[in-house]
Amino acid sequence: MQVFLQTLIGGLSLGAVYALVAMGFSLVYRTMGLVNFAHADVLMIGAYTASTFYTSTRLPFAVAMVSAIAVTGLIGLVIERVLRPLENKDVTLMLIGTIGFGMVLQAVAILIWGATGRAVPSPVKAAPLQVLGLRIRTYDLVVVAVAAVAVVLLVAFLQRTKRGAAMQAVAMDHEAATAVGIHVGRSNAIAFAIGAGLAALAGGLVGPMLYVSPTMGGTLGIKGFAAAMLGGCGNIPGAVVGGLAIGVLDSYAAGHFQGYSELVVFLVFTAIIMIRPTGLFGETTVSRA
Amino acid sequence: MSLSPRRFIRPAGLVALVVVAWALPYGLGGYAIHVVDIALVFALLAIGMGLAMGIAGQINLAQIAFFGVAAYATAILTTRSGLGFWTAAVLAVLATGLIGLLVAIPALRMQSHYLGIVTLGLALGFINWTTNAELAGGADGISAIPVPPLFGVDLSSEYLYYYLEVVVFAVALAFGLFVARTSLGRRMRAMRDDPLAAGAVGAQIPLLRMTAFLLASVYGGVAGVLYAGLVRFVAPDTFNIANMFLLLAMVVIGGRQSLVGCVIGAAGLSLVREQLVDHATYAQLGFGVVVVGMVVFAPTGLAGIPARLRGVLERRRGSAVRATLRPFQPYEPAGETERDDGPPILEVREVGKRFRGLKALDGVSLTVCHGEIRGIVGPNGSGKTTLFNVVSGFYRASAGQIALAGRPVSGARPYRLSLLGLARTFQNLRLFDDLTVKDNVLVALDRTPTRAIWRYVLWPVAIWRRERRLDHRADELLARFGLTEFAATRPSSLPYGIQRRIEIARAMAGSPRLLLLDEPAAGLNGEEVRQLAEIVRSIRDSGVTVVLIEHNMGLVMSLCERVTVLAGGSIIAEGTPAEVVGHPKVIEAYLGDSAMADLPLPEVTQ
Repeated sequence: MQVFLQTLIGGLSLGAVYALVAMGFSLVYRTMGLVNFAHADVLMIGAYTASTFYTSTRLPFAVAMVSAIAVTGLIGLVIERVLRPLENKDVTLMLIGTIGFGMVLQAVAILIWGATGRAVPSPVKAAPLQVLGLRIRTYDLVVVAVAAVAVVLLVAFLQRTKRGAAMQAVAMDHEAATAVGIHVGRSNAIAFAIGAGLAALAGGLVGPMLYVSPTMGGTLGIKGFAAAMLGGCGNIPGAVVGGLAIGVLDSYAAGHFQGYSELVVFLVFTAIIMIRPTGLFGETTVSRA
Repeated sequence: MSLSPRRFIRPAGLVALVVVAWALPYGLGGYAIHVVDIALVFALLAIGMGLAMGIAGQINLAQIAFFGVAAYATAILTTRSGLGFWTAAVLAVLATGLIGLLVAIPALRMQSHYLGIVTLGLALGFINWTTNAELAGGADGISAIPVPPLFGVDLSSEYLYYYLEVVVFAVALAFGLFVARTSLGRRMRAMRDDPLAAGAVGAQIPLLRMTAFLLASVYGGVAGVLYAGLVRFVAPDTFNIANMFLLLAMVVIGGRQSLVGCVIGAAGLSLVREQLVDHATYAQLGFGVVVVGMVVFAPTGLAGIPARLRGVLERRRGSAVRATLRPFQPYEPAGETERDDGPPILEVREVGKRFRGLKALDGVSLTVCHGEIRGIVGPNGSGKTTLFNVVSGFYRASAGQIALAGRPVSGARPYRLSLLGLARTFQNLRLFDDLTVKDNVLVALDRTPTRAIWRYVLWPVAIWRRERRLDHRADELLARFGLTEFAATRPSSLPYGIQRRIEIARAMAGSPRLLLLDEPAAGLNGEEVRQLAEIVRSIRDSGVTVVLIEHNMGLVMSLCERVTVLAGGSIIAEGTPAEVVGHPKVIEAYLGDSAMADLPLPEVTQ
């Protein structure tokens, strides 16, 4: 039982990071139907930027994070602008285009920061908490709290603000949205920038937990995508649940299968998604002939 | 004709290629030949990728893992189990094919980016296995794979190995091109453009998706075996995600829909990468930029550039001779022999269809006799198209039975119904946009069950013969529908009226017994509606029963012998046009009161 709960706690903090990745991915997907494979590499850029600001300029961690979010937000705007001609058209082409962007971002990261990677010191120095015999790292609590705040803010933005409502409208029907006077391009750009910002947030938070390297996006990103699919692509609450589920699955797989945890995670994920291709909260859409 | 230069260009080009391939090693140094050998391996991988992604539209990001499975299987079977190289090679390719079929299972349930993420995840899982498993040598990999023996030829020489590779590559490319350009490839391309419509003309989608992955994995398997025999060392790094994306870049830059393009992309990028081996990061940056540029500005890749240039030139010149639509040539009327005996061609009994809480159809019963032209009318949202979708197998009825010529077909898949003699058109045109008009028709003319693809391996000659027969019949059909001059055009570039006619021609290509037309007159002008009526009558006279959904009441009145009226998912009236139009329930459904009763019947309007 003790081990069970300890594994669960370990899984939740990483799960919070996956949830952030999945949310950014879902936000972009639902607004513009774009499957952003560069998302993982934006995350990596965010992790590097945050850690650079934090370690070399000695900025407070929170300020470093905000700067990283700003930088990746700009990258998001650039990607959106370049791929705009493909929006709402060929899914395969968009997918390949974002993979191309991912290659570029990785190469840029290697050119700036080198290929080796770095460890980031934890910004929270407090000793782990002991609750009912369970060890809880204080930084993990910070991660979960920040992620929770981000979820609340995003949902509030989408549901309570005019701009957010406009993005919802674009997500449902971009032509009808244009007809009622919403600037679809601008709305998409904002979605992309927010998505990239969320990736940076995830990257910055995960930096002290993992190792920051140019290829860190690979596994983290794909698990984030998997989380988004598990929750139902484009569904924000689904992304949170999917993220936590993948995190917990990851944690148990690491406990039981050690090195093979990744293989196990992807096999389990494939099995679940085959049983429910639309994810846990996804709507089944009927293809109209 | 016999002196046309085109007849000589191809053989001459082939001979030149063979000579170049034969002479190439003589001009290359020891390292250069190694680079060429590696490039050939990637070219094989790219063909497999092109078949799955470009031809069949299956986003397969596990190709590098197929490559890895075969390379590792060869390594493990030769070094750990002590098998001979070629025994191991055969087993390795078989194992890879099996893995390919397993990876294809998710493709049956999901498509596009979902499939991309799942296949990528499985590829990551494979890398995870290789780096951890003791059997696979962990991060160090497996070395000392034996040199493949070949009748005393010393294959440890990379020069001689090159010839082995070239032969395998030539056979693989030829087979790939044969698949892509004949029945199987056509069906896969149709599936890529529109899986629903492909199913409706008789392509068995699940089997085709499995086949696409099988082909990709076998090409990956052959490449893996050749790689193991060439380098004689395998390690996880060769099969990582970065190389998967590099392979993707090769295929996209070369042109994913053309196998030759894929080969050019693979060879080109392999060579460029080798040139930039000291600046690998800049190379990656460059590849990324080129991929982004390609998808935005030249989505068809290098292979598509000649066609695009030709298109631009033609538009500049303003095509001198415009292709024109020729008149329809009526079918030979069939005798009255088959009429009125046997069961009705279509019998729908108490069919219901629910979408969650919404009752789209409720207790619909309908009998259509052989040789009839039946009209189905009703206000928007009354369930007409849903009825068609249930009858043609796109939706599974929630209740009731359907029989086609007395044979119960409730729940049958669209491809089965198509082979049983049911054809349909679609309300919003579902032509295969990236296929020529002729290929659109050819897909439907091809009546062989998809499982007959085993012949590709065992008896390709039969396929070749059948292609020639189909080609001839396609020309006849296009001529009948007056479409000959558009044979080589893509449908999306043609006017709407012509696209409608192509869709009817495609439906008729399957020699159906029952033809369902969903709003065939929508968007047609008066003259086109008149031609449509003529075509439908001729189709009926040739012995095909026609059921049409139509809002153009003039057409329905003049064409149909009986009319069925749907409203709110139920049949509210049935009878001759004159009976139906005066029926109080019908008037109520359309107008809400009896205002229409005194209106004269509309003439053929647009």
